[in-house]
Amino acid sequence: MLHDFSYVAPTAVDELFTFLATHGTKTAVFSGGTDLFVNIRGGLSAPDYVVNLKSVPGLSDLSFDPKAGLSIGACVPVTRVLNDPTVNKKYGVIAKAAGELATHQLRNRATVVGNIVTASPCGDMSSPLLCYDAQVEIASAGGSRIVALKEFITGVKRTVLQPEEIVTRIIVPTTYAGTKGNYLKLKRIKGHDLGVVAVAMIATSKVIRVAISSAAPTPVLLPDFPASASAETIKESARKAISPIDDVRCTKEYRAFMVEEFIDRLHAEVKA
Amino acid sequence: MKITVTINGQKYQRDVQESQTLLGFLRADVGLTGTKGGCGAGECGACTVIMNGEAVNSCLVLAVEADGATLQTIEGETVKGKLSPVQDAFARHHAVQCGFCTPGMIMTVKDLLARNPKPSRDEVIHGIEGNFCRCTGYQQIIEAVLDATGQLKESDKEGLKYV
Repeated sequence: MLHDFSYVAPTAVDELFTFLATHGTKTAVFSGGTDLFVNIRGGLSAPDYVVNLKSVPGLSDLSFDPKAGLSIGACVPVTRVLNDPTVNKKYGVIAKAAGELATHQLRNRATVVGNIVTASPCGDMSSPLLCYDAQVEIASAGGSRIVALKEFITGVKRTVLQPEEIVTRIIVPTTYAGTKGNYLKLKRIKGHDLGVVAVAMIATSKVIRVAISSAAPTPVLLPDFPASASAETIKESARKAISPIDDVRCTKEYRAFMVEEFIDRLHAEVKA
Repeated sequence: MKITVTINGQKYQRDVQESQTLLGFLRADVGLTGTKGGCGAGECGACTVIMNGEAVNSCLVLAVEADGATLQTIEGETVKGKLSPVQDAFARHHAVQCGFCTPGMIMTVKDLLARNPKPSRDEVIHGIEGNFCRCTGYQQIIEAVLDATGQLKESDKEGLKYV
């Protein structure tokens, strides 16, 4: 049994937004619940209301449009993204990171949107999504707005999301679709673990884009590099952008070292 | 809140507290105590059940979310006293020591085999990464799964030398 809360399962978007407009500050919305229920059990969160987004129609679409790009709805679990042929073909680094996220059981429940909204510095989905220039669609009773993912996460577990708002979907434009790249994640064990540090890199014929997780209060997107940039140039930029800390999983020195190691490996891979 | 779920083919209707987890519901409200509670954080997998065909950590699902769902738990594995092929292989390979992880481990393996009937050794290892076993060192479990799928070779039987 968790701490006592009231369960709300709205069956329409309007009903959800009306509820949040009144009770938003005392409410936690969820889809997978793999972070929320852990936090409630650990006493980190004690909402009066828990709202299940899965009961709201229209939040479970995973679709690709050649113009608009990839749309990942709030309730799309990681497993669906991992197994989606279009994601694998056009946004391979997202699929790679999805496979690195937690375990099969958790991937069946946890959502890509939830991984972003939780805004953990080590969230697996943020680095690849930053590389692909993902946009976050936020909605409330007042309407909707689009925020670039790099502006969405503002600190450790902090975002621009207001209590009356939800993220309805993530939009991944086609700008970098089909480009090569990879996601490398350092863990303490071979099995599932939170990332000690992770780096995503994609490369087109013109540009190299790099994002780093677990090495600063937020995931970090480095400035664009020309395709001709050396690994050394990227590492120099990374050194200035990150601010790793010591914690139970690793020292800051090891984090900084592995960021550079991963940049070397990824750079060699995209140049091969 | 009143919910109806089908567990191992049998329908149950119960009035549950809204903050009750699916794990708590199975154990306390229905009385099916085969499913174990371990970490409560999605790390250990002891609470794994199959909900609508997907393996989930029942400690991180609300009972009310399971309203209308079809569930499979460890209690459904043995039919008329006959162990399921996975249970039988676990028993023959000594893949159980204290037994606390076994119900979750078996449900995870059942789900893995439903998606991938002949997993390789690496696929078995990857497939059970969400289930901790602190006794066996996993060798016997991996071999049990390979045996249950007719794939165990003499050279794979490393774990048996420790039995």
